[in-house]
Amino acid sequence: MVKEKTHVLSDDGYETSGHFGPYGGAYVPETLVPALRELEAAYMESCQDESFQQEFKELLQRYVGRPSLFYEAKRLAEQLGGGRIYLKREDLNHTGAHKINNTLGQVLLAKRMGKKRVIAETGAGQHGVATATACALFALPCVVYMGEEDVRRQNLNVLRMRLLGAEVRTVTHGSCTLKDAINEALRDWVTNVEETFYCFGTAAGPHPYPTIVRDFQTVIGQETREQALKELGKLPDAIIACIGGGSNAIGIFHPFIDDKEVRLIGVEAGGTGNKTGENAATLCLGEPGVLHGAYSYLLQDDDGQIVVTTSVSAGLDYPGVGPEHSNLKETGRADYVSISDQEALDACTLLCQTEGILPALESAHAVAYAAKLAPGLSKDQVIVVNLSGRGDKDVETLAQYLEGGANHE
Amino acid sequence: MSERLKAVFKSEPTGVTRLVSYIMAGDPSVEASLRRLKGLADHGVDVLELGVPFSDPMADGVVIQAAAERALNAQMTVKKTLELVREFRRTHDTPLLLMSYLNPLLRYGWDQLAEDAADAGVDGFILPDLPWREGQGLRMRTKKRVGNKLDFIPMIAQTSREQDVQAVSQVTEGFAYVISRNGITGGEVELPASVNKFIESLGNSLQIPRCVGFGIQKPEQVRALAKVCDGVVVGSALVKAFAKLDQKGLEEQDLIEQEKEVFSWLASLKN
Ligand SMILES: Cc1ncc(COP(=O)(O)O)c(C=O)c1O
Repeated sequence: MVKEKTHVLSDDGYETSGHFGPYGGAYVPETLVPALRELEAAYMESCQDESFQQEFKELLQRYVGRPSLFYEAKRLAEQLGGGRIYLKREDLNHTGAHKINNTLGQVLLAKRMGKKRVIAETGAGQHGVATATACALFALPCVVYMGEEDVRRQNLNVLRMRLLGAEVRTVTHGSCTLKDAINEALRDWVTNVEETFYCFGTAAGPHPYPTIVRDFQTVIGQETREQALKELGKLPDAIIACIGGGSNAIGIFHPFIDDKEVRLIGVEAGGTGNKTGENAATLCLGEPGVLHGAYSYLLQDDDGQIVVTTSVSAGLDYPGVGPEHSNLKETGRADYVSISDQEALDACTLLCQTEGILPALESAHAVAYAAKLAPGLSKDQVIVVNLSGRGDKDVETLAQYLEGGANHE
Repeated sequence: MSERLKAVFKSEPTGVTRLVSYIMAGDPSVEASLRRLKGLADHGVDVLELGVPFSDPMADGVVIQAAAERALNAQMTVKKTLELVREFRRTHDTPLLLMSYLNPLLRYGWDQLAEDAADAGVDGFILPDLPWREGQGLRMRTKKRVGNKLDFIPMIAQTSREQDVQAVSQVTEGFAYVISRNGITGGEVELPASVNKFIESLGNSLQIPRCVGFGIQKPEQVRALAKVCDGVVVGSALVKAFAKLDQKGLEEQDLIEQEKEVFSWLASLKN
């Protein structure tokens, strides 16, 4: 039986903050409400302010190295057969992932707002490194919350954050991953709200974060659009991006939303299986609910408790997802699929060995889905994969997998 | 408006002020929670808050986080929480509010929840992740469903802006939960000196009584606050006191005896 969804928080048409269809909002402790309004006001102001926009743009060019390359992966496509594959090379950004686009924007905002301290959560450590980097550049003290499990599996990034002068606080409650790091960062924020800027790492969380993070990441999609038109003379047929909270995906999708002929595909972490707890495929397998300040899809049990997730990739190991993606799913504008740990690991080695590019395990999920899609396409059809980050941080995990694989033979 | 809640604030407090207590449903078991709710009511607690456990309690400090974890490990659910209230209501009239994050309640199905809660004898909700102004739809929906049986308790923080306080100033049911300081529940942090002034300033704008919570655990604090508010909430300190007993692994009879000391300590806060 298909039950029609009732979205009781917004159904009756009462005004609530920042919704994408029925999803979004700002469901936070009262103490944080003014801080979110202050952030929203400062952000709106910065959108109108040419000096802010100019400074942000220059940082992206001169510090991050934008525009990032739009690279045709010919050997990969040849090996797979079928359509052409382009990689949007966010892995070549300074600090090695798309996360820096957002943190520079937010830390610039923090500076403008006169905040004295920046906090952040991190899963894979890429957002933590990117925040620590922006804070070093703008001379702001930085505290990063990271789950114990992630500290273990992304230790290289922990060391990088410390080198950059950030304090990394290990979170030992709950599942000891990204969701618990977000809880702890929110607790810090509510306690130190007046002087603290919370630099949120993905296009999720309470309004206005899903909008702010998306806007700072849309540079990916804007460049992709220009590069595709210039190089191919047309828009791509499909765009594929991995989904943790959804920032790299919404960044590349957003400028294409009105181009109905372009398929948008978000790839979630399928983990080790489809049963509860075995994956982090929130949109594929979850139900709407409220976590971390937003109404959106969630992996939860029958009593509304958040489920512990599994993914080989720390950056995708999250039981929530950004509200705009929930709405794109609801309206059917984007498709959401999942890729298993094994498929992602295989895609990692495939991309290494065909193109000499080591992707982050997160991004490898998008590569893996491209590898499934490409053979069914014709030679003139084009897939763009958002290669959201590089895989140096994952070398230890990959080594274990390769050694484990050798044992099985 | 809940008649039970109204009666509490209409009558004079027995002591320097009214006492609102918080415990987590199902920590460490349904039986213990029921016994403690009754004991608290019998020892002069004016309003009971009953926490619904949630896996990700972002507004709570370590004490209540741990309580939620214990309750969830003991398989506590929303349904069992409502049964617990129903059982309590067979013998007691003390007003009882559910304190819960949104998600477990939404998952239960809001309309069904409103009906079942009203029917079980719940007097209202405190929802720490639903800011007052975001909750209008849910409140109207609840009214349509169960009339005025369930009150929604607005929370006011020291950071709240004038327009947020303004929105609460329209409210004529329940009481305002004033958060003593910026932060999460519990902790050893002293209340800021500004808190009394802040509560006093609210007096001019609000039509409803004011109860102050977060970090309250000492008689001196209660005495100081009593001058400016209508009640105080004791949460983490109480949860911690019971948790300490539970860790001792006592025989039931001894446990019950020692719980009485906790009740007396709590009651002594308002002397
Ligand atoms: C390289 C990389 N890609 C993707 C993600 C997932 O985040 P999002 O969905 O916000 O892009 C992360 C998160 O840590 C990441 O490091």
